[in-house]
Amino acid sequence: MAVSVGYVSREATSNLWRNRMMTVAAVLTVAVSLALVGSALLLKQGAAHATERWQQGVNVVVFVNAGASHSQFSSVGRQLHQLPYVKSCVARSQAWDYAEARSIEPAEVFQALTPAITPSSWRCALNQPSEAALIVQQFAGKPGVEHVASPSAQIRTMETVIHVLQWAFLAVAAVLLLSASVLILNTIRMAIFARRREVSVMKLVGATNWFIRLPFMAEGLVQGLLGSLVAVLVVLGLYFGFLDQTKTAANQSSLIVQMSLGATEVTVTCIVVLVVGVLAGVIGSALAVRRFLDV
Amino acid sequence: MIQFENVTKTYKGSTVALRNCSVDIDKGEFVFLVGPSGSGKTTFIRLLLREELPDSGRIWEAGREIGKLPKWRIPYLRRNIGCVFQDFRLLPTKSVFENVAFALEVIGRPKHVINTQVPQVLDLVGLSKKRDNLPGELSGGEQQRVAIARAFVNRPLILLADEPTGNLDPTTSLGIMRLLDRINRTGTTVVIATHDAGMVDQMRRRVIELDRGVLVRDQARGVYGLDGSVSAAGAGSPTGLPIETSTNNEPDGPMAAEA
Repeated sequence: MAVSVGYVSREATSNLWRNRMMTVAAVLTVAVSLALVGSALLLKQGAAHATERWQQGVNVVVFVNAGASHSQFSSVGRQLHQLPYVKSCVARSQAWDYAEARSIEPAEVFQALTPAITPSSWRCALNQPSEAALIVQQFAGKPGVEHVASPSAQIRTMETVIHVLQWAFLAVAAVLLLSASVLILNTIRMAIFARRREVSVMKLVGATNWFIRLPFMAEGLVQGLLGSLVAVLVVLGLYFGFLDQTKTAANQSSLIVQMSLGATEVTVTCIVVLVVGVLAGVIGSALAVRRFLDV
Repeated sequence: MIQFENVTKTYKGSTVALRNCSVDIDKGEFVFLVGPSGSGKTTFIRLLLREELPDSGRIWEAGREIGKLPKWRIPYLRRNIGCVFQDFRLLPTKSVFENVAFALEVIGRPKHVINTQVPQVLDLVGLSKKRDNLPGELSGGEQQRVAIARAFVNRPLILLADEPTGNLDPTTSLGIMRLLDRINRTGTTVVIATHDAGMVDQMRRRVIELDRGVLVRDQARGVYGLDGSVSAAGAGSPTGLPIETSTNNEPDGPMAAEA
């Protein structure tokens, strides 16, 4: 099968130019849908990162009553140490907790606090972050225990929000991608229709189906590729925008910093976007071409 | 070269286009396929182009049974068959040269082959001087010559013509017939579906007549009508053929040409 690259690209370019408005529509739809796909992927990876980082830092804090005796304090500590899912446990004195409270609580809350009424605490690191709830269950309300703090609930809410967001992105992107494929299919169909005389002559004199097909499929491929290139630019723009934010962020433990992605992840996302775009173009045009050429 | 063995073709709506048709056409023959509209002539051509498959029976073409040809081989079969139609089917935006060259381009022939073969065949059909004209600037007869050039440029074994003179006046038709005759004398098998009675009578070649899908006559040196009264038509001009056309005949013109 001798189909020259020059011939295919010449034909594809002239077809694209002939239907330029449709081409622009198809390319833009591909771009928008793939930009959404790309951002959904970034969001998903960022969320995974953030939760991973949070969970590594999950400490369950068991606050012991300010008025508790020393033996009460150490008995709580012993019980914590015996739990199989507790990796390590560190005691924090009232003075230490007072100092910490001073650094994180707003001034009006802090003013009501004195070292004497500040509870002392056990800070426990867990083997499995998900087991934080067990400790909360076990120790809340025990004699001497004032309060068990675990950030897992907040993390879970955050995770759900990100999950929902990400699926919404993907669903919208899927619908848009489908319409992009249909638009590409339609442009190719119009291109074939515009050249139906040529196609019929080609079939008559014995051009192979691939020879007839390839220029049209190349056209679909170019539309998909152009669209996904625009989408890649959007994805990169988002990435670098966030990168700037993370560098200048005042609070280095903020969500944006926690979600920040590595260069490989962004590269992979861009490649996925490109491949999906090209596939959408090729599949759309292949479907359009199939109908016309089966004789 | 072409062999039909008990070929039957029925279209949807139970119109029988060909019924149990058996024909043998040898290499280098010149055959007229005649019959009224709807008699199955076009189906015959379409079967030869493998645009249709018979419901039953077998067809051989150039030594191959085309019913058994895999789909991807069909284009290669068609490269051995040239075909012209009543409506010429030229590409209006391409020049005469480009129209003929297109047939070679799309089967992947290199430029230098195109640049030698196209002028040759344009010379054969007598259009060398109009090579840069668009089809719209040519007369009907000239357009049909371009179509013939396109069909013949790849030197096919078989040349099919479906009503090639259907849109042309008798004088022009004669010119087209003489061109097809000349092509036939290069060894190409020529099959012409027509109801141009005058032409058939004048050429005196093999005639295969179809009537509602049934082969009713296969006659060497036949005429269009069955009875003898029409056979005189070739000499006179009841069919509207102007007498003066005979003066255009070369010594080896269609009248004299017998294989």
